[in-house]
Amino acid sequence: METDVLIIGCGPAGLQAAIHASRRKCSVLVVGKGRNSSIAGTHLDNYFGTGVTEGDAILEEGRRQAEATGAVFREENVISSAAVDGGFSFKLESGEEVVSKSVVIATGVSRTKLGIPGEKDLYGKGVSYCAICDCNFYRGRRVVIVGNESEAAVSAEMMTNYASETSWVAWDITANASLVERAEAAGVTMYSSKPDRVEGDGKVERLVLKDGTVIPTDGVFIELGAKSAADIAMDLGVMPEMDDSIKVGRDCSTEVPGVYACGDVTGKPWQVAKAVGEGCIAGLSAAEHAGCGQ
Amino acid sequence: MVTELNESNFDSFVESNKIAIIDCWAPWCGPCRRMGPIVEELSGDLAGKAGVAKLNTDENQGIAIRFNINAIPTLLVFKDQVLVDSLVGLRPKEDIIEYVNRL
Repeated sequence: METDVLIIGCGPAGLQAAIHASRRKCSVLVVGKGRNSSIAGTHLDNYFGTGVTEGDAILEEGRRQAEATGAVFREENVISSAAVDGGFSFKLESGEEVVSKSVVIATGVSRTKLGIPGEKDLYGKGVSYCAICDCNFYRGRRVVIVGNESEAAVSAEMMTNYASETSWVAWDITANASLVERAEAAGVTMYSSKPDRVEGDGKVERLVLKDGTVIPTDGVFIELGAKSAADIAMDLGVMPEMDDSIKVGRDCSTEVPGVYACGDVTGKPWQVAKAVGEGCIAGLSAAEHAGCGQ
Repeated sequence: MVTELNESNFDSFVESNKIAIIDCWAPWCGPCRRMGPIVEELSGDLAGKAGVAKLNTDENQGIAIRFNINAIPTLLVFKDQVLVDSLVGLRPKEDIIEYVNRL
């Protein structure tokens, strides 16, 4: 589909951006999973005018407001992004293609590390966080992909082109069903218990799961969550900061015209008040760039 | 421009620099693309102290296997022609300079 403004992320920053861009009469598509917002399931007590409130209630009401102004939502993540002539193009988990005139990155910050024993010590010795970077080093070797979302499914399927055996550990799977089917059809072996520890003497030799299963392997690729903001930014031509945050100006613009960012992804403080303020600015800036209503 | 190494000039580069820092990268690796400009600056900042070069691991898989590279970006660090460290992952320029100063 085509839209004036694509907003990636549906936490407070993304929702506020959606409300303001929609009110400028832009067509607005919001992609992302609300349950992944950092305020989902939390109590808030420092946001102006709300007293002590529930994060889920704010997300729900915010989405209702954004929908009332005309924003359209898709409960799925972006799996690839590119700058194209006069705008940006994206592919979603379902395979749907989206073309937009401007884009707002409001993904928040994501956890990339599992935090299990052996993970840190064996980083670079078999533990990797980037399948596309390191797949070539695993030709003819055994690999385990770890992660629940579509990013892990895509990595697992890709890895079958390199590794002699590809396993995928997903204990709370939320990946798109057709991507899971494709991975299985490519010969990926699935495991459904949570990882407990990575073991090996100077290099990865096995991944042990909570249920006691031992998977002998040469590589453990940790692919948690959705595609990171840093990856999306780079695919759109924006160079992230060393800490993966995205540098923006006062109008929430990045170095690439038409690409805006707001919320936790632009750096600390990671607070709802700051996310909402930036969301407002990013939504208005993205609407202006898209040329809809003033 | 930072020297690009391959099978034919890798060993001579290591031999001709008391300290050699080699950035192992590949074109489709996002963190490597972020490391690129840092390495460009390092080659100037470390001039006279260390030789800085790049190695495309996709085109030079033999060297990648020789030095047990499993993840990129990796900085191979040689001192007096001996591999003293493999620094894996993206890191700030200042950290690398501080590391080289301690060698």
